[in-house]
Amino acid sequence: MWFTSIYLNTVRDFRSAILGWGVGIGLLMYSVLAAVSTLDQTPAARATLKSLAASFAWIAEPVRVDTAGGYATWKYGFTILVMALWPILAGSRMLRGEEERGSMDALLSLPRGRARVALEKLAAMWTALLGMALLIGLLAAASGSRVGADFGLSGALLFGLNLALICGVFGSIALLVSQFTQERRIASGITGGLLALFVVVDMLHRVIPNTENISRLSPIYYYNLSKPLIPSYGTDPVAMLVMVGLSALLSGAAIWLFTVRDVGATVPLPRWLTVPERALRPERALPVNDWSLRSLYTRNLAKIVTPTFWWTVVIAGFAAWMVFIVEQTERQLRSLYESSPFLASLISKVGGGDITTNASLLSFMYTFLPVLLMAFAVTQASHWAADEEDGLQELVLATPQPRLVVLLARFGALATATVFIAVMTLALTALASKISGLALDGGNLTAASLSIIPLGLLIAALGYLLSGWLRTAIDTGLLSFLLVIWFFITFVGPELKFPSAVMHLSPFYYYGTPLVKGLPLGDMLLVLAVAVVALVLATLRFMRKDIARQ
Amino acid sequence: MTTLVETQGLTKRYGSSRGIDDVTFTIAEGEVFGFLGPNGAGKTTTIRTLMGLLRPTEGNARIGGLDCWGQSTDVKRLVGYLPGELALDPSLTGGQILEYFGHLRGGVDQSYLKQLIERLGLDPTRKFRQYSSGNKRKIGIVQAFMHRPPLLILDEPTNGLDPLNQQEFDRMVNEVRAEGRTVFLSSHILGEVEQTCTRVAIIREGRLVRVGAVTELKDIKRHDVTITFADAAPVEAFKALAGVDNVETVGDGHTLRMAVSGGLDGVIKAAAQYRIVTLISQEPSLEDVFLRYYEGDGKAPSEVSHVVH
Repeated sequence: MWFTSIYLNTVRDFRSAILGWGVGIGLLMYSVLAAVSTLDQTPAARATLKSLAASFAWIAEPVRVDTAGGYATWKYGFTILVMALWPILAGSRMLRGEEERGSMDALLSLPRGRARVALEKLAAMWTALLGMALLIGLLAAASGSRVGADFGLSGALLFGLNLALICGVFGSIALLVSQFTQERRIASGITGGLLALFVVVDMLHRVIPNTENISRLSPIYYYNLSKPLIPSYGTDPVAMLVMVGLSALLSGAAIWLFTVRDVGATVPLPRWLTVPERALRPERALPVNDWSLRSLYTRNLAKIVTPTFWWTVVIAGFAAWMVFIVEQTERQLRSLYESSPFLASLISKVGGGDITTNASLLSFMYTFLPVLLMAFAVTQASHWAADEEDGLQELVLATPQPRLVVLLARFGALATATVFIAVMTLALTALASKISGLALDGGNLTAASLSIIPLGLLIAALGYLLSGWLRTAIDTGLLSFLLVIWFFITFVGPELKFPSAVMHLSPFYYYGTPLVKGLPLGDMLLVLAVAVVALVLATLRFMRKDIARQ
Repeated sequence: MTTLVETQGLTKRYGSSRGIDDVTFTIAEGEVFGFLGPNGAGKTTTIRTLMGLLRPTEGNARIGGLDCWGQSTDVKRLVGYLPGELALDPSLTGGQILEYFGHLRGGVDQSYLKQLIERLGLDPTRKFRQYSSGNKRKIGIVQAFMHRPPLLILDEPTNGLDPLNQQEFDRMVNEVRAEGRTVFLSSHILGEVEQTCTRVAIIREGRLVRVGAVTELKDIKRHDVTITFADAAPVEAFKALAGVDNVETVGDGHTLRMAVSGGLDGVIKAAAQYRIVTLISQEPSLEDVFLRYYEGDGKAPSEVSHVVH
């Protein structure tokens, strides 16, 4: 049965993903709904929760957070969009992946039109998303029923559907972008970047007044207009239709482009958007004398240069921008502290000092730097796993280079990139501090900027370790999930009075507040030690494992 | 001659599914050794185990006396390898790929490299993703040959090459043999193996069913004999002969066709009793020998467990 059509065969390919993502996110919902009863047992606890949610409105609009559905909707806010990683990968692989593997030629040799082939594959992706939505909805409904939540099965299923619709939009974006790129990885990278951008654009109107029109440009805005787990808020059918329409438009454009372009080629971009290639006569092609081809390390470094540049722009730029705006922000927040003791408490705890000082507020904002650097490290660990699956390690390992060197050269390039990002962050923030006239302790600024390095190395090493057993998609999903959980533990845990043992599970805890209190040398050495242990284990595993191919 | 490659009871299992089972053979220095088998027979698994990419479940493989798993780095100094499926960085040009692998191998003779590129008519200025499958194969062949390794391990090397380049490849292999270097070549193109190899192994469902010189394999040949008699063909006179099978009359009943294993002496003596118009004996090609091992119900004949070293 499964091999009777492209549609069914593709659905069959997605069966593990349906089960993995559906049950994974469903269990996440199950656990958060089950936990909510322990958080709002007293009026005081309920008040704290409301205050907490209001201060974290940038995560998601806080609506009836003292109910199970409201709490779950707010808590997972944008972080549940981690599920969009799957359709991004699926959308970029749908046509471009087949073309890269050379299997598209075989598919198109069938007596079916190109549009039909693409539509069957697209339908399979939507089937998978709806399958995931069903599992998530059923598990959410089961948990809701167990804790006596005020939403029913239909609300839970609509929650799943809403999630599937926004995921579908990002799958469609990836499908469209892949028509313009030679490699599926580039398409998924660009769409991943767009996902992050749209999260921020949607966030704007919850943080800065009068920016709702800008937020409307983000598809995530329409996802957030429906809150099916909160019966009093309900579902916005128009918003859902907007997402359906957007998906149809983007997918339609992608499929049309696919039908009119050459298979294996891309849709031509305007000349000003393309990098001209140097014409070289074959007899002069060798030797190339390119620095990056001299060793494993330099080659890996060259591969990582472009993403490092962009992540440096994001991370160092973010840090420098914070230095510029901190004084102004501090003035604006002063009135807010008076009305929200919780916010004052949060910034004081996470920022690590007196809320009336710029350094405390900056320190609070600086805690986002390791999150960003770790996100960069996750993408690079994911590429390491993918290279093995794609067979790119085969010929490298056929040269007299020990496996130990192959792994360490790759990790070394990543470590160099993280050090570069951290150093550039330090340089730019120091410059911003000088220009803006904001006096910052040089030692503490150095500590705050450079202490992000061990955290980046930690998650990269964990990614390398997990890739010893897991496929790329699962490895990346697990690392992303860990990042989200750690983030939540550190930022929300103190107010929810998580036990100390739980707080210690998050690496961000060990980052501390170096901008105020200086370098937490012991904690950093501990993180570094764990990273080294993970890297040693990853190396041992890599040295002993069979080199797999997809 | 010195043994360069040696496998002893080499076994690789993937969980419950089959990989290779108890594969034992040796390759002497200077040999061109063909490894024959249909898709999925275990050729690539054997080769990837030799390359230290897979860890043997049982048994061992040695190249130049070095263990292919435990001393894989030293083993790879001796080997030029062409995988069955070539995956390389699509954003690099052919020239960049060759220079990179040249550096990883500790440097290569640039004039020899240019000579190889020229012989195969490869344009090294194009990006790997822009190459046709044949040109991608050429990149793989050049990177395997370019450092003049003592042993070449080539997994279906001529897949995708046009006939002219296949001929050039055959010449390159012959030159390697003339220099006393060794080639281990897997293929299912029997003509190629027959033309270039001195010995062959046949693998089926993960087990070696035959190893021997190309001439030895032909020696177990089964001649197809066709005799046209002046009168009606005496079928019964041939059916009883030892080593004669599948006796059948064709055409007008004057012609007999049969398969004869071993010598033809008995058949000729029996035929001499009658008036013969023509007698044609066809010597089997290696292809015929190979197909014998895969014919019928898919089970190898009983004698195939015999291994000739």
